[in-house]
Amino acid sequence: MSIGIIDVGIGNIGSVSNALYSQGWDPVLVSSTKDFKYLTHLIIPGVGSYSAAMRLLLDAGLATAIIDFVSQGKPTLGICLGMQLLSFIGYEGAKTEGLRLIDGEVMPLKKIKGLNLPHVGWNEVTYKREHPVLSGIKSGLDFYFVNSFFFNARNHNDVIACTDYGQSFPSIIGMNNIIGVQFHPEKSQINGLRMLDNFCLWDGVC
Amino acid sequence: MSSKVYTNQDADELILLNIDRVDNSIDTLVSTVEKIAAECFVPFSVGGGISSLKDAKRLFSAGADKIIINSVAFHNPQVINEIASLAGTQAVVVGIDAKLVDGDYVIYSNCSTVAEPVSLPDHISRVIDLGAGEIMIQSIDNDGLMLGYDLNLIKDVVRQSSVPVIAAGGAGSFAHINEAFEAEVNAVACGSLFNFGDNNPLRAKAFLSNLGVPLKRIK
Amino acid sequence: MKRCTKCGLPETYETIEFTESGVCNMCVQHIYKAEVIDWDKRKLTFDKIIQDNRGKYEYDCIVPFSGGKDSTFTLYYLMKEYGLKPLVVQFNHGFMRPTLLKNNERTFKKLGVDVITFTPNWNIVKRVMLEALIRKGDFCWHCHTGIFSYPMHIALKYNTPLVLWGEPSTEYTAYYDYRDNEIEVVDESRFNRYINLGITAEDMRGMVKNESEELDPRDFAPYTYPNLRDLKKLRYQSVCLGSFIPWDTKAQSKLIMDELGWEGDEVEGMPPKIYDYEKIECHMQGVRDYIKYLKRGYSRVTQMTVLDIRNERMVKDEADKLITKYEGKKPPSLKVFLEYLGMDEQEFNNIVKKTVVPPFEPDFSKDDWSPKTWDFDNLYREKN
Repeated sequence: MSIGIIDVGIGNIGSVSNALYSQGWDPVLVSSTKDFKYLTHLIIPGVGSYSAAMRLLLDAGLATAIIDFVSQGKPTLGICLGMQLLSFIGYEGAKTEGLRLIDGEVMPLKKIKGLNLPHVGWNEVTYKREHPVLSGIKSGLDFYFVNSFFFNARNHNDVIACTDYGQSFPSIIGMNNIIGVQFHPEKSQINGLRMLDNFCLWDGVC
Repeated sequence: MSSKVYTNQDADELILLNIDRVDNSIDTLVSTVEKIAAECFVPFSVGGGISSLKDAKRLFSAGADKIIINSVAFHNPQVINEIASLAGTQAVVVGIDAKLVDGDYVIYSNCSTVAEPVSLPDHISRVIDLGAGEIMIQSIDNDGLMLGYDLNLIKDVVRQSSVPVIAAGGAGSFAHINEAFEAEVNAVACGSLFNFGDNNPLRAKAFLSNLGVPLKRIK
Repeated sequence: MKRCTKCGLPETYETIEFTESGVCNMCVQHIYKAEVIDWDKRKLTFDKIIQDNRGKYEYDCIVPFSGGKDSTFTLYYLMKEYGLKPLVVQFNHGFMRPTLLKNNERTFKKLGVDVITFTPNWNIVKRVMLEALIRKGDFCWHCHTGIFSYPMHIALKYNTPLVLWGEPSTEYTAYYDYRDNEIEVVDESRFNRYINLGITAEDMRGMVKNESEELDPRDFAPYTYPNLRDLKKLRYQSVCLGSFIPWDTKAQSKLIMDELGWEGDEVEGMPPKIYDYEKIECHMQGVRDYIKYLKRGYSRVTQMTVLDIRNERMVKDEADKLITKYEGKKPPSLKVFLEYLGMDEQEFNNIVKKTVVPPFEPDFSKDDWSPKTWDFDNLYREKN
């Protein structure tokens, strides 16, 4: 296995990299198209602004490389903003086009009295369907979130799990060989680590 | 390392505070953070002598999730705004140390040595305006004594703060933790409680769940 | 003190939680064990694990072994049921009793197995015993950590991924729960939650060393859990036999007595004969039980009768009689223990007092001693 992590300054690759390393994997940092050559798996981490992140991916020529990687059926995981970038459009700041891999739009979470934004902390993830990456992890457990926006998926089949924060929003989405998680598995201790492990063992088939 | 132990014992988040009054250099903090980040897979916050955006950047790069600042909120408050703009308000925790003096709470800076003239409610609203995502309130009187939190102080701060509040300083038993939750804090920080005595976060949570306190589930 | 309405365990018991009816979580999960877990399916899972490992590595598996009833049964079962080639790994805590040693020799020779026994530096053991007693009211840190870390190091050294333990912790505590219907993994997470009292070897080294001294980190290697990364690369699998077959200590003890000539022994503070298969390995068991009594208000007699009550082999009245008669007395080995640590009983009491678990309040003035065991004079004395 060769697990690649996109590294163009859009996310906290350190934590994800440490998480994989501690579990016995040898992650590879990916910052240019040639780094894709021997990859079997790809992780897109992300923290920050949708438009800024897309800009960085495009400038590094990675957007096309990612889309290409996905089209080969290879397992791809988006984390937090990385999941949101899989969408068609993001509305954070200027309206920006995403990687267009899973149909949906990234919109702000509703402002609700009594609920602080961003949504920060441990919250329950409830499964809508099974998936190999969820193996050995029960539905309804808590994972660590930091988000102000959410992925409004167009097809409910693409929604694997939901979480509640004043509104119900997709916390895990997936289609074929792509999967996205809104929370931070690398901060969600035992179950997050298990999920990352499952992803590294996944062959991309549902 | 202890961070792994606490994580395995179901701690929700970890706080690393450098309280050394002699060596409070950021270098020490950075190298410790790097070691912890290699093995810690829950959110962790660091504090102790952080006084600039540059310090914060180094610590974020080293792997910290949140920064805790205290004294700089008085001397150089725009740093709060700078860090919040860089990393988001959720990455900034403002620590406040308070002591009861003649019936009123007085805030202290510089490792509880310098009394600050600003009132508790004014300070809280100022730092929140500047971008603090959380307030960590510590009772100087109760810290380390393991006799309980200062519940009046906690209630005051919860009332005055529009952001989540962490109670720190004083827990000596699981019952004390429950008292703090009843005072409506969002989070409870314990140090001495788990360092001295045959107990740990797992047992604290078993105790609390026997009392119906809602806690995160990882099993 | 609040107690379970069914088995009597008090609220000071680690991990205990009570249901609305006042029954404790351990009683509840036991019913689950008997009635809900599909043990046939579990056994099939285990068959596959054995098959996946047989003949492929330097040994088929590592079997951590103390010589008590559980590990002796585990080794016996694996040899008889599967005919494996195990590497038996023993960690010598420093207090092995003569009956235990004879049992082990008999067991190893009758079954025909390779055995490694490791004995750590006694000077380090004494220092960490004292530190652990002060910090946590439990002097057995070196034993807990050594027993669970050392075999993992051996697994790495001998390139043998499968490590087979005996009873699952769900038999005695709720750190893991039969109701989760999960196979307990004996890993570093469990080690940090339940075994090392929350103190890693690295921390312990920092705690015991004096200001000016340099303690060799290698002295703490036996107590250090190996890197998860190394274990994962080995594709290690560390599980309990008791997760795959229902554990029944009474039946299993009888089996090893009959088949291997395994002998029980008397233990300080325990009623004679009734539980002579339990905790016979260690000269310091009496002190351990006594400290538990001071901290939590119950001890070994309670624990054993609770198991019998839960398995409907004893009624509560009988149990209460035994507890009143035998529990809480001072063990003669306490005097030797105090010699090892270089302290007197007053200092000892002061240390233990700080770790008492509320709401229990011990009575340090009681001066009731239990009788010496037959092998008391076998105990190592520093003045020898």
